[in-house]
Amino acid sequence: MNILRTEHLKKTFPEATSGQDSCVLDDINISIEQGETYGIIGRSGAGKSTLVRCINFLERPTGGEVYFEGKAMSALPKAGLYKTRQSMGMIFQQFNLLEQRTALKNVRYPMEIAGWSKKDADARAEELLELVNMGDKKKSYPSQLSGGQRQRVAIARAIALNPKVLLCDEATSALDPETTKGVLDLLNEINRKYGITIVIITHEMSVIEYICDRVAILDDSRVVEEGPVLSILKNPQSETGKSFVKPEFRRIRG
Amino acid sequence: MDNFISFFEHVNENTLPMLWEGTLATIYITFLSSLLAYVAGLPLGVLLVVTSKVGVHPIVWLNKLLGFIVNILRSVPFLILLIAVLPLTRAIIGTTIGTKATVVPLFIASFPFVARLVEASLIEVNEGVIEAAWSMGSTPFQIIYKVLIPEALPSLINGAAIAVTTILSYSAMSGIVGGGGLGDIAIRYGYHRYETDIMFLTVIELVVIVQIIQAIGERWAKGSDKRLKLVAGRGLFGLGRAPWAGE
Repeated sequence: MNILRTEHLKKTFPEATSGQDSCVLDDINISIEQGETYGIIGRSGAGKSTLVRCINFLERPTGGEVYFEGKAMSALPKAGLYKTRQSMGMIFQQFNLLEQRTALKNVRYPMEIAGWSKKDADARAEELLELVNMGDKKKSYPSQLSGGQRQRVAIARAIALNPKVLLCDEATSALDPETTKGVLDLLNEINRKYGITIVIITHEMSVIEYICDRVAILDDSRVVEEGPVLSILKNPQSETGKSFVKPEFRRIRG
Repeated sequence: MDNFISFFEHVNENTLPMLWEGTLATIYITFLSSLLAYVAGLPLGVLLVVTSKVGVHPIVWLNKLLGFIVNILRSVPFLILLIAVLPLTRAIIGTTIGTKATVVPLFIASFPFVARLVEASLIEVNEGVIEAAWSMGSTPFQIIYKVLIPEALPSLINGAAIAVTTILSYSAMSGIVGGGGLGDIAIRYGYHRYETDIMFLTVIELVVIVQIIQAIGERWAKGSDKRLKLVAGRGLFGLGRAPWAGE
């Protein structure tokens, strides 16, 4: 049963300087199964962030359609869109926590939006912070937390309303390898324990390799390859796929 | 030394009470006008940000209209606006002289300024944080009062210090049309009666008041900004945690 599906998804941005429209996404057709961990990889500028933003309509597609649980996103009225977004969590490369709120109050935010009582919201927020191992930091402000800690708080916030899907936009790109592993472990645990479908956007193949089931490779606004991670790693077909699978840097200095 | 003392030849036993009354009048005018300016200017500033093309709820024609009105009001020199508004002042207050009457032109001159200050503070809020708020299913209204305003609070406080000190200086200018307060004293004694020593004292006072307001505003803004690591551990408005509050 696919929980997310895009059909001929297209997104163009009007280019201010050159006068020509730039097509960032062209005829994207992907479908994501409930409960899987799906990766989307591409170089910078390939369109991955735009793609994930089209999924929860932070960007409105210029053409094509996005289906969440079988329902077309573009058919939703504004109120319906806001409600639907409460079933989708999202975390970001720069964490995007509310800086004037404590960790606890940050995690409480989605519950406030959904109209929970303060007591229930606080209780749930504490529970979530414990889950991501940040229980002792509940009264801390983001400025007092490290990058990895902030991302954990962001994850707690994103899964607060028990979403069906968790979108991760380059969530580990600003973190060192060890912290990255910690965050990915947490995401994996959330996927296994709660069955939340995870969509991971990244430019690092090691991330895809670590926890993804299937992956779509994006290059220059199109999907150039798609399939199970293990088979693509073993035998990449596309040029882009091949370039991702081989090692990144070979020394140029003597 | 004799010259110095003789400079203050007009200071007598009436001077201090008069200066005191003038100070109270100035403070009253300034704070009342500032309050009213924010009552009008804060929502106006929010509207300017929210209805802009890249805002939370774009209404471009409204944005252009509001911007146009604000720009016009801001480009009229204050003294001219003061005089142009005299009939309106008379209609509302019944007179054009005195402290109450000054509030009308001061309000009209400063609420557009406040709106621009508020706009500048709100625009600075991290776009990514607003995006995160959208992704959690917030409505535009929720974004305004749960994200935009709280996240911009330290900047808004700083803006308020700028606004109040500016309004203070405007209030001094209104002394020209008999507005009351320290400016009025400065003009009546210093300009019309050539008693420069009195004027000198009022200027010193105005400078001191501005310094105090600026210092308070700055301290308060910094103290409430949780983005500053040193502040984050210090409780509401940076005034420190109550001794009985736990860790």
